[in-house]
Amino acid sequence: MIQATRKYSWIALTAARSNLAYLSEVATRALFLAVILYIFLRLWQVTYGETGAERLGGLSLPQMLWYLAMTEALTLSAPRVAAEVDQDVRTGALAVQLIRPLDYPLARLWTTLGERVVRFGLNTGVGAALALLMVGPIAFSPGGLLLFALALPLAFTLEFMGQFLIGLAAFWLEDTSGLMLIYSRITMILGGMLIPLELFPPAAQPALRALPFSSIIYGPARMFVHPDAAFLADLLLRQGLAIVLLALAVALVYRAGLRRIHSNGG
Amino acid sequence: MTSAVELQGLSKTFQLSSGWGRRRVRRDVVAVDGISLDVPAGQAVAFIGPNGAGKSTTIKMLTGILHPSAGEARVLGYTPWKERRALVRHIGAVFGQRSQLWYHLPPRDTFELLARIYSLDRASYTRRRDMLIERFGLAPFLETAVRKLSLGQRMRAEVAASLLHAPRVLFLDEPTIGLDVIARQELRDLILEWNRDEGLTVFLTSHDAGDIERVARRVIVINHGRVVLDDKVSALRRQYLGSKILSVKFHAPVQPLVLPGVTTLKAAEYALKLEVDTRVAPIEQVMAAVLRAGSVADIAIEDPPLEEVIAHIYAQAPAGAG
Repeated sequence: MIQATRKYSWIALTAARSNLAYLSEVATRALFLAVILYIFLRLWQVTYGETGAERLGGLSLPQMLWYLAMTEALTLSAPRVAAEVDQDVRTGALAVQLIRPLDYPLARLWTTLGERVVRFGLNTGVGAALALLMVGPIAFSPGGLLLFALALPLAFTLEFMGQFLIGLAAFWLEDTSGLMLIYSRITMILGGMLIPLELFPPAAQPALRALPFSSIIYGPARMFVHPDAAFLADLLLRQGLAIVLLALAVALVYRAGLRRIHSNGG
Repeated sequence: MTSAVELQGLSKTFQLSSGWGRRRVRRDVVAVDGISLDVPAGQAVAFIGPNGAGKSTTIKMLTGILHPSAGEARVLGYTPWKERRALVRHIGAVFGQRSQLWYHLPPRDTFELLARIYSLDRASYTRRRDMLIERFGLAPFLETAVRKLSLGQRMRAEVAASLLHAPRVLFLDEPTIGLDVIARQELRDLILEWNRDEGLTVFLTSHDAGDIERVARRVIVINHGRVVLDDKVSALRRQYLGSKILSVKFHAPVQPLVLPGVTTLKAAEYALKLEVDTRVAPIEQVMAAVLRAGSVADIAIEDPPLEEVIAHIYAQAPAGAG
């Protein structure tokens, strides 16, 4: 158990260090983030101005911009897991992985977590700098930030599992990029990347909260601007439940994929 | 001597299907057809064959990736497809076209990661790593990102990485592909050295005759899923083709030589290049005829190039194979 922890945490660390090499990509993302945030700032300024409301969905204008900075930082930090797994399946790299004492899904999960911590850290830095520049600070407390940090690992794991499943579909499909496109757009829209869930029609909100997408983006971003222990407990429960269900799906699909490798060679 | 790899009637049949609905047709493709062989521990074996002969399928079965349709195999006493997890700690694999090194990180970082993946004890890992660094000459580029290394440097680091956990059997699939002459030679020497000094069993797949000649002592040729030849590399040319190449230079112009069992490959005014079928015409008899033909300035007897021998074997029907 200790050895397995060391093994997989070292994979995460190596992935994180490897990801620091992509500095040009970081710069591109930062620029993209700046443009997006500026556009949303203007849009929300108009919306708040037109409605004359102090708060929308319980958030003030500065909070709304910080919320968007966080949802964008989360969305843009997602590694391309589906595309990589798809390639591993198609090129036979997955089969070769079986020659090492590693569990492929776990190795992929920890690689993704390592990469993501770096990408998310850098995105948050850029997003926070831009939000500060545009609307100034909002109230933060160490306790609040801790609650927010607790919501992240499971959100990252959940996002990974969705993408991992799509990548594994390469065992049966010619092309998984279409599936990935649908998945990422659904995550953005139903996950609350553009608009917090509170601003969706009240009838739709329970369903949106029940879906795993909101646990990936909306939940953590909401915890960032508005830390709340009860909200966190509810979020962790939803994330945990979704992870258990998706882990079962991953286990089933991966086992079916392995059977194909064992009979066809990958 | 104990066996490192044992195969008994190992077979693999793939089921291919095409078409849809009622027109869906299934057919069986036999990739490996009852291969039996025994590789003693410490032997270096070249496992060769044309594309589609069943080499990769066999290696995949020996590493536990692929499950066979019939037959048995034991690698270091393990049945690969049943005991893959235990087996992988004792085998290493190098795939010339697939890297295990992290592209943006220096080789040292991959070594550190592999130490954790194989749960190596820190002291013995450090000792072994340092020895590999020295023997493979990795020190000058150990801290350089892999993407900045030459292919020769990268492959040296690649092989060293696969030896870090002290495997007892090393599978090498086209390890010298794309390398220049010097890098190729260096890598072959290193593999050979490891085989001799450490008793590492080497299972090499390559299309390069030089790899086979330099690294392996035994060659197993498979074609159409069957073993068509299993012999010492040194005996390969002699026994299989039974021919020699005779290159002669004369002091004066000579007439072409006509002898049964002798084919003129090249004829110039002062020189002849002959292929001698030694089963028909013993070499001393041909030499005597050459000396009678004119005043000889220089003479060389060579074996035919291994590529030609291999091409000849590939062209043969698999009849009588086993």
